[in-house]
Amino acid sequence: MAWLLVQLKLRLLRNALRASNGAKVGFIASTVLAAVAAVVIFIVLARLRGHSAAVDLTTVIFTVVAFGWLILPLIMFGLDSTLDPATLALYPLRTRPLAGGLLAASATGAWPAANVIGLLGVTIGLASGGFGVFIAVIAVLLQVMFCITLARFVTTALAGMLRSRRGKDFAVLLILPIFALYEGFIQIVPRLTAEGKLTAASFAGVDTWLRWIPPGLAAHAIQDASDGHPGPALLRLAMLAAIIVALGWLWVRSLSRALVTTDTSTQSAAVHGTALPFGRYGLRGTVAARFWIYQRREPLSLIYWGIIAIIMVVASVSTVLTPRYMIALIISGFFGGAFVGVFHANAIGMSGPAFALEATALNGRRGLRAYFSGQDLAIAVIAVPLLTVVSFGLAAVAKHPVDGFLGMAVDLVAIGAGLALANIFTAASPYPVEKRSGTPTPRAVDGYMGLSVGVTFMSLIAVLVAAVPIILSVNLTATAPAATRMPLLVLGAAVYGLALTCVGVAIAAQVAERKVPELYQIAVRSKL
Amino acid sequence: MGHPAIEVRGLHKSFGDKQAVAGIDLEIAAGSLAGLVGPNGAGKTTSLSMMTGLLRPDSGRILIEGLDVWADPPAAKAIIGVVPAEVRLFERLSGEELLEYSGRLRGLPAGEARDRAAQLLGVLDLASDARRLVADYSTGMRKKVALGCALIHNPSVLFLDEPLEGVDPVSADVIRRLLTRYVGSGSTVLFSSHVMELVEQVCDHVSVIDKGEIVATGTIDEVRGGKTLQRAFIDLVGSKATGEEGLSWLGSSSS
Repeated sequence: MAWLLVQLKLRLLRNALRASNGAKVGFIASTVLAAVAAVVIFIVLARLRGHSAAVDLTTVIFTVVAFGWLILPLIMFGLDSTLDPATLALYPLRTRPLAGGLLAASATGAWPAANVIGLLGVTIGLASGGFGVFIAVIAVLLQVMFCITLARFVTTALAGMLRSRRGKDFAVLLILPIFALYEGFIQIVPRLTAEGKLTAASFAGVDTWLRWIPPGLAAHAIQDASDGHPGPALLRLAMLAAIIVALGWLWVRSLSRALVTTDTSTQSAAVHGTALPFGRYGLRGTVAARFWIYQRREPLSLIYWGIIAIIMVVASVSTVLTPRYMIALIISGFFGGAFVGVFHANAIGMSGPAFALEATALNGRRGLRAYFSGQDLAIAVIAVPLLTVVSFGLAAVAKHPVDGFLGMAVDLVAIGAGLALANIFTAASPYPVEKRSGTPTPRAVDGYMGLSVGVTFMSLIAVLVAAVPIILSVNLTATAPAATRMPLLVLGAAVYGLALTCVGVAIAAQVAERKVPELYQIAVRSKL
Repeated sequence: MGHPAIEVRGLHKSFGDKQAVAGIDLEIAAGSLAGLVGPNGAGKTTSLSMMTGLLRPDSGRILIEGLDVWADPPAAKAIIGVVPAEVRLFERLSGEELLEYSGRLRGLPAGEARDRAAQLLGVLDLASDARRLVADYSTGMRKKVALGCALIHNPSVLFLDEPLEGVDPVSADVIRRLLTRYVGSGSTVLFSSHVMELVEQVCDHVSVIDKGEIVATGTIDEVRGGKTLQRAFIDLVGSKATGEEGLSWLGSSSS
């Protein structure tokens, strides 16, 4: 059974290379990334040799790797068809051989190999002496087994939920903290390191509590063995092995249950409220109502708003606490507004085949104006307060809270320009998207990736150009009294931003009027 | 004498080198419940998409109650209802909200749209699921709510692409009764289907399409010519050899 499921996993991996070009590129990129990760982790662990906080840092790295194994299967659920026990429920398989097979399949592939190779860096960085290296190798294998068993247990225990719509929504929302961690890591860690505020010594002592969790047991076993304490080393490895066995036992139990448990996909709670809002405001209100509901109920919308807030904060990190804090406010507002546009620049492609309902009802330039302005209203109702709050928050962090009004002025123009471009691109260059099983966000289908990237870059450039007048106004009025400067700038920005949006709506409606059937044909190719 | 409900003349559509629709002529009288049958890839969905203004034809003319679909799309779209083959709806709306949205998109006042939505949900046996998200609906429920969306503005001509595909017998019966009642009031239905028994049972007019051409059209009796519709259909479009001799191991008498 183990070999059969390993063969299945290998076949799936091989088929990825025969699939579309996009899938092929994705597979190759993932494999290359795994190789790079293996080398980087190995070097980082190896370079800890002789460092006073070596065991603390090793514990942290082992824990981060285990965290990755815990989180990623929740997001990637469905990507690997050997992961879901329900796909094997039809076959006459006994639980124990099935469990062994699934574990073996989990250990097959570039990423598990990369984990083992990378973590073996401890044989240089932390281990010393023959016994120390021997224990290090055992500890690494146990650490990877722990990661695999943990991932399997969590995935199987949640399998029923993750097959349901609500479970998938929950998994998709996990992308936000991961995105925040990633952005924080690539933006903040290098800066703190360059400024000398984050060194290896900063991690000294963090393992006072981490040492008692499984990754800490593995790291400390290596240190004990290297320090000539074989008893504690073996005891720690025995404890780790016992934890793996316990997890495995729990996993087999949840696997047995999962194979005979009903799919919860069709179980759901009712929504609150009986009617669509904005009933008095005609077609514009109707479209705004649908988009407004989607902003609240569609996890992807929540992700986009979260990412926009994270981008605004991260973009300002390097300057917000310096005398040049105004740059932080301007850059933050620009990126916030620009990404409001970028994330809505393919509204029809993102609607998918459901656009049929609108395509058979919307007619003429007037109807399409209502369509675009309705969606702009729903988006602006969230974008304006969100970006304003972030701008005032950043101004407060910079200890110049009143200058939040200047950030708000940039926000308003950037939102106006972003929405205008979103409407124009939606009408002029829509593209079909697909949500691949297990991937949290839709992506352009093969052949449209270039267009998708092009729309993003063109949006960023065009919003920057549109924001030049307000950026100049902010700079040129720096010496004017705040009491007159702030209201005038905010009011002027609001009028200018609104004018940009209205122009965008008019252009988009004019373009779309001639091509509603073509827009529908693009939408119907989306797989959501 | 009034216009036919649906009149199609010389309809052509190609995708690259492949000719999907190769000159269709069709006439459906008002008050008909007409079926469009054909094998997979025959051009049914392409034809219906062009008739409903969702796919631009290469050439040809489509009139709905005398209104040219491609010369005056707003006027034609106002009097038709459409249920596409792939019933992908706005999944994050509840069934109730979706029907109201559809009604309001079609210009109904909010209160009227809400009232009609409630009535349709009752007739379609979806009242108890009205507040559940469409994302949580089964295939049959989706087909029924999509039919409600297509009917809420009371169109005079209804187009349905495979309305009963994947639908359980109970839901199918609900849809069938609603369509019969709708046609009884003088409105017209054109639907595509693979299910010959259904077409034979409910339709008064049938057209058989194969390789983008109408190969037979008329009343049910005219098209089947004394045979079952299933037999007549297979005779018209041909059936392929199956190579069953290779399955000698299949069945309980073999090991």
